[in-house]
Amino acid sequence: MLKYSQERFVGIMLTALGLIVAAIYISLSYGIFDLTFAEVVKTLFSQGNGEYDVLIYQFRLPRIVIAGLVGVGLGVAGAVLQGVSRNGLADPGILGINAGAGLAIVVFMFFYQGKLAGSDWFSILAMPFFGLIGGLAASILVYLLSWKNGRLDSQRFLLTGIALGSGFAALSLYITLKMDPTDFHTATVWSVGSLFHANWQYSISILPWFLFLLPIIFWKAHILDLFQLEESSVKSLGVSVGREQVILLLCSTGLVSACVSVSGSIGFVGLIVPHLAKSLTGIRHQQMIPLCAMLGMLLVIVADFIAKNIFAPAEIATGTIISLIGVPYFIYLLFRSKA
Amino acid sequence: MDMSILRTEKLQAGYEQHTVFQDLDFSVKEGKITTIIGPNGCGKSTLLKTMGRILKQKAGNVFLYNQDLRSLATREIAKKLTLLPQNPVGPNELTVEELVAYGRFPHLNQGQKSAIADQKAIEWAMDITKTISFRQRELGSLSGGERQKVWLAMALAQETAILLLDEPTTYLDMVHQLEVLKIVQQLNRQRQCTIVMVLHDINHAARFSHEIVAMKEGHIVALGSPQEMITPEVLKQVFCIDARVMLDPRDGVPVCFSYDNLQTEKETIGGEA
Repeated sequence: MLKYSQERFVGIMLTALGLIVAAIYISLSYGIFDLTFAEVVKTLFSQGNGEYDVLIYQFRLPRIVIAGLVGVGLGVAGAVLQGVSRNGLADPGILGINAGAGLAIVVFMFFYQGKLAGSDWFSILAMPFFGLIGGLAASILVYLLSWKNGRLDSQRFLLTGIALGSGFAALSLYITLKMDPTDFHTATVWSVGSLFHANWQYSISILPWFLFLLPIIFWKAHILDLFQLEESSVKSLGVSVGREQVILLLCSTGLVSACVSVSGSIGFVGLIVPHLAKSLTGIRHQQMIPLCAMLGMLLVIVADFIAKNIFAPAEIATGTIISLIGVPYFIYLLFRSKA
Repeated sequence: MDMSILRTEKLQAGYEQHTVFQDLDFSVKEGKITTIIGPNGCGKSTLLKTMGRILKQKAGNVFLYNQDLRSLATREIAKKLTLLPQNPVGPNELTVEELVAYGRFPHLNQGQKSAIADQKAIEWAMDITKTISFRQRELGSLSGGERQKVWLAMALAQETAILLLDEPTTYLDMVHQLEVLKIVQQLNRQRQCTIVMVLHDINHAARFSHEIVAMKEGHIVALGSPQEMITPEVLKQVFCIDARVMLDPRDGVPVCFSYDNLQTEKETIGGEA
């Protein structure tokens, strides 16, 4: 009890918040063009007449905001998926939800050729919807194929997800190969997870999903606690297991799809973040899920900063940086879970 | 039909293609402790799970207070009936009190008044199971016997009139077995709880039940009071054993003090080819 007290939780949340603020400040001030602290503050509070307005408001800030949102979405979705599937190795990427959403978006790009770079509102708002359709189709398929003896089999859940995910990725690749060269380039960069195209419209297009789905997930957090027991215990407590699983799965799929539509397929956030959160704050989802949101935000902002600057002026995909951290961590988890 | 607290009608249940029992009619006596005995695979656990809607029946009905179980919301059922599965598992980091509090789930979200009722129920459940002294400890640090009492406390915190216990004493040492069964008895006496449990130890069944139900190959082959059931004839029919039974001189409860195989006898006589 003392190990995971309320005070400790508040302390961890405040520390994470502090780190996020620091990461945002660093991302705002460092880059191809460095700004001083005074310049950053002045620009942020000068309401549109500072020297560096364009740099900050058009380039750096929207990208940080998107990175933050994507981190929140993927971190929380990962925690929910691990809870629902009772499998610590579940992750939107591994479960094929990214790939499904990605496929739908690639299809959308394919039929909406040449208009990707533009900032036309229809395509920007439509992308999360297409992502959602693809993501939902993927998660429903995975869910249905994982039923065994009238219950969700967590081993099957993971394996079906991996298999379907590879299938969707292959289809996406096939379609991107048929695109014209400019679209192809955009699509490939996007498919490894990049925030290169970040802009304010993207943030606005995914914000409604967050505002709608995150409260439902926070409200259902105590159900995720119960899911840590065996299915027969959970049923005996009067939880409609199937229904709650579907609701939580749909919520996390919605979040993931919205993220994928603006950032492409960034993997491993949903895997690393919940484990980190659990080791910091314990297994109570009422605390763990908000912490996942904070840690996800921090991870993606930092990763995106590294991706932008490590080989500047050349840029590598944010997803690549996270994978570089995520793969060894994943292997570490595999080994630890065996022990 | 008699007004029964929990009753099955032409019940059929099983796993995938395999049917464990069919056309099973069984009625639980209100306010009594009923114990189901029988050899492994006879369908005792399956019956318990189907009555507790953990397992969906293939055909037939289960009636809870004469209402079809399938027509009731699972949360409403959880206020009237709870099932403690065999060897339940939970996260090691969870504290005793937290796990017991999970038992309040079916009663949650009913306003401020219920918060007090919730806490009262949790305290009572930990008190009666004697788990209150280690309420802050984590599940992972408990012994098997302590853990089983905590799970029982969680089920009790649900404050249901009916308790279904699937082998509540398995893997426990004899002191903890006794302790668990005494708690069950106390619940029945003080709160008039209706209890249906599966036990392997027929002497425990004899000592702690009002009624014993014997199952074999998916059928109820006999039922009655311990005195009627724990006899060489019934035990021979149910388990194919040659049991030696006497009455405990202190309270008249039948005790099976030894048993042997029937087959060996047959073989020595000559048996069938």
